[in-house]
Amino acid sequence: MHPDHTGGGTTVHPQGSTQGSGVAQPGSGISRRRLLAMSAAGVASPLVADMSAIRLLRSPALAAELRKQERRVILLWLAGGASQFETWDPKPGVKTGGPFRAIPTDVPGIQISELLPGLAQRMRHTAVIRSLNTKIADHGTAAELMECGRRNDPSVRFPDIGAIVARELGRLESTVPDYVSLYTSTEGRRKGTSGFLGARYSPMFLSESMTPPNILRLENLTDVDHHDRAALRDALARRFTAESRSLAVDSHLSAYQRVQGMMASADLFDIGREPESVRARYGSTQFGEQCLIARRLVEAGVPFVKVARAWWDSHGQNFETHQELCADLDHCMSALLDDLRARGLLEHTLVITLGEFGRTPGINASLGRDHFASAWSCSLSGAGVRGGVAYGKTDKEGHTVVEGEASAGDLFATILASLGIDPAHEYMLGSRPVPLADFGSAPISEVLA
Amino acid sequence: MRPTCRLACRVVLLVGLGPATAALPAGAAEWLPAATDLPRAIDHAVGQHLEKAGITAAPAADWPTLLRRTALDLAGRIPTLAEYEWLESLPEAERRLAMVDHLMALVDFDLHLRNGLDELLLPNHPHNGEFRDYLLWAVQSRRPWDQMFRDLMAARPSEGPEKGAVHFVRSRVRDVDELTNDTAILLFGVNVSCAKCHDHPLVDQWQQQHFYGMQAFFSRTFMTRQNVVTERPFGQVTFKTTAGEDKTASLTFLNGVTIEDRSPTFTEEERKRLEEQLRKMEQSDTVGYVIFPDFSPRRELVEAALKDTEQRFFPRNIVNRIWQRLMGVALVDPPDQLHAGNPPSHPELMDWLTRDLVDHRYDLRRLVRGIVLSDAYARSSRWTSADTPPPPSSYALASTRPLTPRQMATSLLVASRGTVMDVAKAAEPGGAWSRQRLDLENQAGGWVREFEYPAEGFQVAVDEALFMSNNERVQNDLLRDSGDSLVGRLKASATDDALVRHVWRSVLTRDPSADEAAAATEWLARHPDDRLGSIRSLAWALIAGPEARFAR
Repeated sequence: MHPDHTGGGTTVHPQGSTQGSGVAQPGSGISRRRLLAMSAAGVASPLVADMSAIRLLRSPALAAELRKQERRVILLWLAGGASQFETWDPKPGVKTGGPFRAIPTDVPGIQISELLPGLAQRMRHTAVIRSLNTKIADHGTAAELMECGRRNDPSVRFPDIGAIVARELGRLESTVPDYVSLYTSTEGRRKGTSGFLGARYSPMFLSESMTPPNILRLENLTDVDHHDRAALRDALARRFTAESRSLAVDSHLSAYQRVQGMMASADLFDIGREPESVRARYGSTQFGEQCLIARRLVEAGVPFVKVARAWWDSHGQNFETHQELCADLDHCMSALLDDLRARGLLEHTLVITLGEFGRTPGINASLGRDHFASAWSCSLSGAGVRGGVAYGKTDKEGHTVVEGEASAGDLFATILASLGIDPAHEYMLGSRPVPLADFGSAPISEVLA
Repeated sequence: MRPTCRLACRVVLLVGLGPATAALPAGAAEWLPAATDLPRAIDHAVGQHLEKAGITAAPAADWPTLLRRTALDLAGRIPTLAEYEWLESLPEAERRLAMVDHLMALVDFDLHLRNGLDELLLPNHPHNGEFRDYLLWAVQSRRPWDQMFRDLMAARPSEGPEKGAVHFVRSRVRDVDELTNDTAILLFGVNVSCAKCHDHPLVDQWQQQHFYGMQAFFSRTFMTRQNVVTERPFGQVTFKTTAGEDKTASLTFLNGVTIEDRSPTFTEEERKRLEEQLRKMEQSDTVGYVIFPDFSPRRELVEAALKDTEQRFFPRNIVNRIWQRLMGVALVDPPDQLHAGNPPSHPELMDWLTRDLVDHRYDLRRLVRGIVLSDAYARSSRWTSADTPPPPSSYALASTRPLTPRQMATSLLVASRGTVMDVAKAAEPGGAWSRQRLDLENQAGGWVREFEYPAEGFQVAVDEALFMSNNERVQNDLLRDSGDSLVGRLKASATDDALVRHVWRSVLTRDPSADEAAAATEWLARHPDDRLGSIRSLAWALIAGPEARFAR
């Protein structure tokens, strides 16, 4: 040790050989004075910087900065498969149409189901795609298809849309998570996958509560101890990391460097910090609260948030199910769009509604609709999207797409293009090129701003 | 217009299937006599390439580094303190062989080889107890790798120790593409999936019929309602070519050799009756029979693969994969691209090791032992020169490798439990160490999911860092201070110097440098009022550090 060294300089360590260089390097954070300073005041830790970064993100100045930065995504995942008839592509008055009416929206010429009155008044922000033909109609395989934008392949683990966006829009050293997936109790807990992009882009998955696992400090360790311990770890790690020259070892360092930021971002999951008036607008349903968390996350710079809402799989009592679920979707998504717009975030945030498939035109004996992937709908609102558009067309009774047929790959290409990401960009998997959106797909230019 | 292919295999080089382009070169026999011992052959080959490339290899690693690396590779865990001290007491020249002999005699070796094979063969279906039991039995009874291949492909029900082998096929039985691809990739080192949709655009020999030729070995495989894997007595694979032509695939191995379908010819009536029986087997919970046809395409696949004495996909694949596990970089990289267009970094060595494996009855132990006793294995991983480090495939430098989840979990437990071992008696079957190690193996199962399995482009997830930083099991189990635990022993250390040396040796298998020792001592002096807290934090800082996460 060199107790007379004040730290912060660039002096070369006297024993600077590879064998001898060690923890006492200048600025390594573990000189005697530094340790003493840390224990005395607890201010020399990286947490302080991280926490102020989080706070900054909530300030108006930063919101302005964010406007110049990359885009964000909130995916509202309608697990189980919502009916296009009761949402974006109503067919009133035909035998497949069901009992609900179509209502006008704030965009002349576009009508949607009366179950979405709030969203009807916000149609100018939204492009509806009514011509998805994704062919696969069993939950597991279809969910994989709509999460990854391509069919599963036994020899490749493909990343899902969240991981791709995290990779393309996230900052490598970000102190906030870059892919958060919020649970729903009945969804079957699909975690999402970063596939071959690796664990750096795995979702932070909230599987049981509204707080991510291992993000809070244990009570038997004080804040100062937690930081001092981390500083000691970093200091003792430095020699190994420097000698290794390995990206994998570097990733160990960056994972630990992100811990304090992640812990500081625990507040982002705490909607108790929102004014009562804001919370009231989102409502007290789990979905509403998660939508509010999603807004807090994108505001703080999280590139991708998935909020799953279940369970739309209405094989029986389709109409009652949709009455209930659409009311929640309509209310929460309307609040979300308004809130994002009021904060200047909507033009940078893409809000998607999507599930694994739609529902059959035929109404079965239990007054339900079954799985249907041949002609169904989804919506895109906000960033990069030409609002007030209804793209594509199904036939009179909704059996087939008659205009503008779009595959899962086309939808992915569109989503990526709306975010300013080139869908044709290729990841190289060894010698194998994997384009971000599947081979043969193309963005739907009509819905892009 | 770009081709539309969901498999995204536009320009991928695929296995060459023509004449034996990857055959043993004529010079292999002259290159080194077959009787040369394995480590010498490895060092000869690696040395020749280094000389040709003008690369000076890194010096040998120091013995504690090598002990740690070797223990992780042979025992699946870091060394115990007792092993460290025992080796330290030996003359320098004896340490190398002593550590390898010692580690290979332990139950640890069998468990770790088993785990490696499990990770290779059922990568997406972990924790299959029956399969793991089968592998452990096979490893412990020194079952040759070709015999294990027969067990895996036979997939016959049995109450014997081979019982669990069925899961290789059974876990994939519902998806014939997966069964075909996984077998080709994991057992032959060949990724055939790209040829499903179209002939390869660049490699003429690689055609759709080769994918379907492989698939034909599995297309009759099915599982009865009562979960028995068997095969239909008839049935063929047909496919449509990109030109729209309908074709029937014959049983064709990767070397292009076609197997005659020797199934009996059935009359219309026999066939009908069989169809009815098969239908019952598939649908009924109570049917009291299973038909196992005499002609088994899966068994034919085994014979075809073992008779392939030219391209040797089957033995080359396991040589390549074991080499990759121990050396960090495969001789043929990536390991699912064993074909003429992607030659090994050291072709003579690949041929020599393959021949040696086949000549010695597919004895994986011999191969593992040979590799870890080579100089190439024992080099330092540090590159001290200012020049750009040599490419990993030169093996001039040891690679720094992330631990597998099991290595990591078991090592954390070995370190934190203050594990005691009587080195002289450790190899006794059923002895104290064997029992303790089996217990650790079971306990490690509860920790493996916290760590990512290393693959191409491995990254440590922030989830892991959060787990190590904030999970109560880390604090309350790994850092508990009961008398027999690491923290308990540290607490009882007579001096701080002894404490610091103890924790470094226990977690990192080495003594601290002077700087490290000074920093640690200073750390301990900071909170005299919370000595336990300081000790725990010091231990944590080491177990959560990169040196504990990687082998170097």
